[in-house]
This record gives sequence, structure tokens and C-alpha cells, in this order.
Amino acid sequence: MMAVLWSTMLLQMRKSFVRPMFRFCLLANPILNTILLYEMFRNAGEENFMAYVVLGAGLMGLWSCICFSSAGDINRERWSGTLALIFVAPASFPVIILGKIIGNTLLSLLTLVISLVTAVVLYQVPLTLASPLYFLAALVGAVTAFVVISAVIAYLLTLSRKTELYMNCIEIPLILLCGFVFPVTVLPPAVQTLSRAFSPTYAVELLRMAVWGVKDAGLFWQKYLSLAGLTALYAGLSLLLARRIDRRVRISATLEVA
Amino acid sequence: MIRRFFEQAYLYHKGRSAAFHAEEFVLMQLAYPLTSLIFYCLVAAYSFQTANLTSWVVGNAFLLCTHACVFQLGIVFDSDRFYGRLRSVIAAPCAKLPLILSNGVFPTIFAVCASVFGFLIGSLIFGVDFSGVNLGLAALCILGAMISASCFGICLSAIGLMSDSMHLVLNVVSYFLMIFTGAEFPISQLPLAGRIVSQLMPLTKAIAAMNGLFEPGDGAFWTLMAGELATGAVYALLAWGIFRIAERVARRSGKFDLF
Repeated sequence: MMAVLWSTMLLQMRKSFVRPMFRFCLLANPILNTILLYEMFRNAGEENFMAYVVLGAGLMGLWSCICFSSAGDINRERWSGTLALIFVAPASFPVIILGKIIGNTLLSLLTLVISLVTAVVLYQVPLTLASPLYFLAALVGAVTAFVVISAVIAYLLTLSRKTELYMNCIEIPLILLCGFVFPVTVLPPAVQTLSRAFSPTYAVELLRMAVWGVKDAGLFWQKYLSLAGLTALYAGLSLLLARRIDRRVRISATLEVA
Repeated sequence: MIRRFFEQAYLYHKGRSAAFHAEEFVLMQLAYPLTSLIFYCLVAAYSFQTANLTSWVVGNAFLLCTHACVFQLGIVFDSDRFYGRLRSVIAAPCAKLPLILSNGVFPTIFAVCASVFGFLIGSLIFGVDFSGVNLGLAALCILGAMISASCFGICLSAIGLMSDSMHLVLNVVSYFLMIFTGAEFPISQLPLAGRIVSQLMPLTKAIAAMNGLFEPGDGAFWTLMAGELATGAVYALLAWGIFRIAERVARRSGKFDLF
């Protein structure tokens, strides 16, 4: 299983990187977002641009990569005529999909680095990471959360003909709801309740807490637990979806959309 | 000829939208851009620490045309190539300017609708007060801006004859519109080179003109609108020029792409 996961990850990274749209999300998007957010935040009175500009631009890039790659990968396999082959391959189909998503997500982490480099090179802004170890722990939690939510979306979009439309439609709403660029407390209370149903909300809060410096370790781990719980819930959902799709495909004897 | 122009415009629209149901079409044309408007207005409210979001509602309502004018119109020739129609378009013994302009008719209509919708929703959510604004001039401003943005989209689509990475080009351009038009932050924040680029972009002058309508006594409206329309005309001519070059190269080299 690990060999399948590893080889799928490497192959997926190479396949994703040759696509112009992925290259935009990976390389151009964090640079442009950093410029845009820096110009918007430069007079905000915020001294540490790491929390909203660098982290915000990097996470927006990361999420775009996920939307335009992981979410549409099953559809891309169908388009290439290889979906049936990987579905019936001796290696498990969910493991192959997981390998693809992990590959994409790990490669997409480059957006955080690009965003950081852009802010330092272009603007020489003060950047501080007050709690690096907590940041590392938060990053691991965030990557896991993004991998799992990508799997759910990928499965949801598997049997749709309009993947491209939905990929576009989920990008900005999640960035807004999960508070990538501003705290979710800015949103109306009813919307905040919705935000709390998305695991990336907690991931972003944890990363931001680590950037500013964790003063209340209890609160950090409490949020971490919420993140872990939601991620586990999403993982269960993606497994359920995988089983339902597998059953539907076996009954209808086709992987094509209706 | 006029009838053929509009028939062609309708056929282009049908080709772009036939795959979608009405609700999906609305989702694509309105819901997604509207979420973007709300998102950037919220970012502005938080970063600029202000409750008066008029200029961001104005800027982002204009940017709602990006989907129709940049992403839809920008891939026209790319799609023509993909569906094997490019050879007929290039080889057809007809004038190419009406053909190019007919592409822009429906995106312009949808862009105007999206913009007006953006103003309405933006004013409802963020409390923008239109009571002191001359609505006739505002409508004229929106129409002029959308014509200019459509001409820009047509020019981008002509660039599709020279590049095989149009998704990359169009996405970068959509960010350029956010950075250089003054929709998200004042142009005066940009360095000199950035301020020059902003004057070459569509929508910059229309956004300034619309913002001026909210400030009584601002007399630059007509100058700015003339500048906006001139910018659009330059992009339309540029598209026509690129297409002529593509035609000539196609006849000489026997292929339809410049890359």
C-alpha cells in the first residue's frame, strides 16, 4: 500500500506541474495574492504581515491548487480514458486517489513558501513566527485536514458532468467562510456557525495562533481536538462516498456520468 | 448584415451556455462573482478598518464582469481551436471585425446584469447609499465599462492564437484587474510603473468615474468615460490587428496557431 501511495504521489506531482492552471495556482497565485493583500493590509495597523498577508495568500494559493487539481482529478482521469484502468487495478482505488491528493497537497505547500519569499523580497516587511513548534503541529493538522476535505470533494464531484463549474464555485466561498484572510468573527453569527462546520477554519486559526505566539496552550490543543474530530468525520464521509460510488459503478457497470 | 451579426452573437452565446441548466448558468454568472464581491468587501472592511465600503462595492461590482468578459470571452478562439472551428473562422471570406465583435454582445449584456446585481446586493449588504447619485450617469458608466471590458476580453481571446496557456494568462489578467484598476485599494498606493499600467487597464477610469458620482462636484466624469471608451476601442483594434496577422500567417504557413 505504501509503495502505491508513494508512486502515485510522485507521478501526480509531475502530472500536476505540467498543467498550466496548476502552475498558475502554485506559482503565480501566491505572488499576486501577496501583492494584493499586502496593498490592502499595509495601512491596517498590523505590524506582523505573516498572519494575514503571507499566511492568507499562501493558504488561498493552497486552496486554489486543491480546487483546481485534487477536486477535478477523477474527472481528468475520465477525460484521459484512464479512470476505468485505475478503478479495476489490483491496487485499491481509494488508495490511488489518496496518493494523488497527498501529492497535490504537499506540492501545493510551496504556495506558503512563495508567498513568504514574495513578501520579503518585494516589500521587506517584518515577519515573525512566534511559536515555530506549535506552527509545525498546526501545519501537520492543516495538511491532513486539507487532504481529507479534498477527498470528500473529489468523490462528490466524481459523477458530475460539470466538475469545472463546481470547482470554480467552491473556491472563494470556502476562503471566505474559513477566514483565510480575516478572522471568522468578522462574519455574522449565523455564518460563523457554518464556518465552524469546516475543518480548515480551525486549521487557519491554529496557524494564526502559532504565528502570533501561543499564549494559551489549552486553547490551542482544544482547537486542535476540534480540528482532529472534524477531520475524522470528513474521513468517514469520504470512505462512505467511496463505497457508495463503488457500488453504483458495479451496478451500472459504467464509470461515465449520466 | 445586422441580422447576421446578432444571429452570430446568439450562436456564440448558445455554444458557450448550452451545456448548463438555467440554475447553473445563474450560479456561474451571478453567485460566484457575488461571493467574490462579498469576500473582497469583507477583506477591505477588516484591513482598512472602515464601515464605509462604497468604493469597494463600486470596484468589485465592476469586477463582476471578469467572469463574462475575461474568462468566457478570453477563450473564444481557444475553444474554436478545440472544437475544430478555427479553420472555418479563419478561412471564411467574411469581414472578421463583426465576427470578433459579435462574440462580445452577450458577455457584455451579462456583464451589465452582473454589475447591476452587484451594486444592488452590495448596497443592501454593505449599506451603500445611492440616493445622491445620478442614476442615468451611473447606468451609462456601467454600460461604457462593460463595453470596454468586453473589448479587452476579445483582445485576450486573440492572444489565444499566440499562446496555448490561456488559463494561465486569463487568471493572471483577472488578478491584474484587481491590483491595477483601483477596485481593491487606491491606485495612488502603487509605484509609478504600477500607476502607468493601471491607466492601460480597462475599468480603471470607469471605476474612478463611478466613485466620482458619489462625490458631488467631481467634474471629471465625461473625461474619464471618454478615456474608458478609448481604452476599449484600442483593445478592439488590437484584437483585430492580431487576428489579421494570424490570418496572414495561417495562409502562409498552412497552420492556425502562432505558437
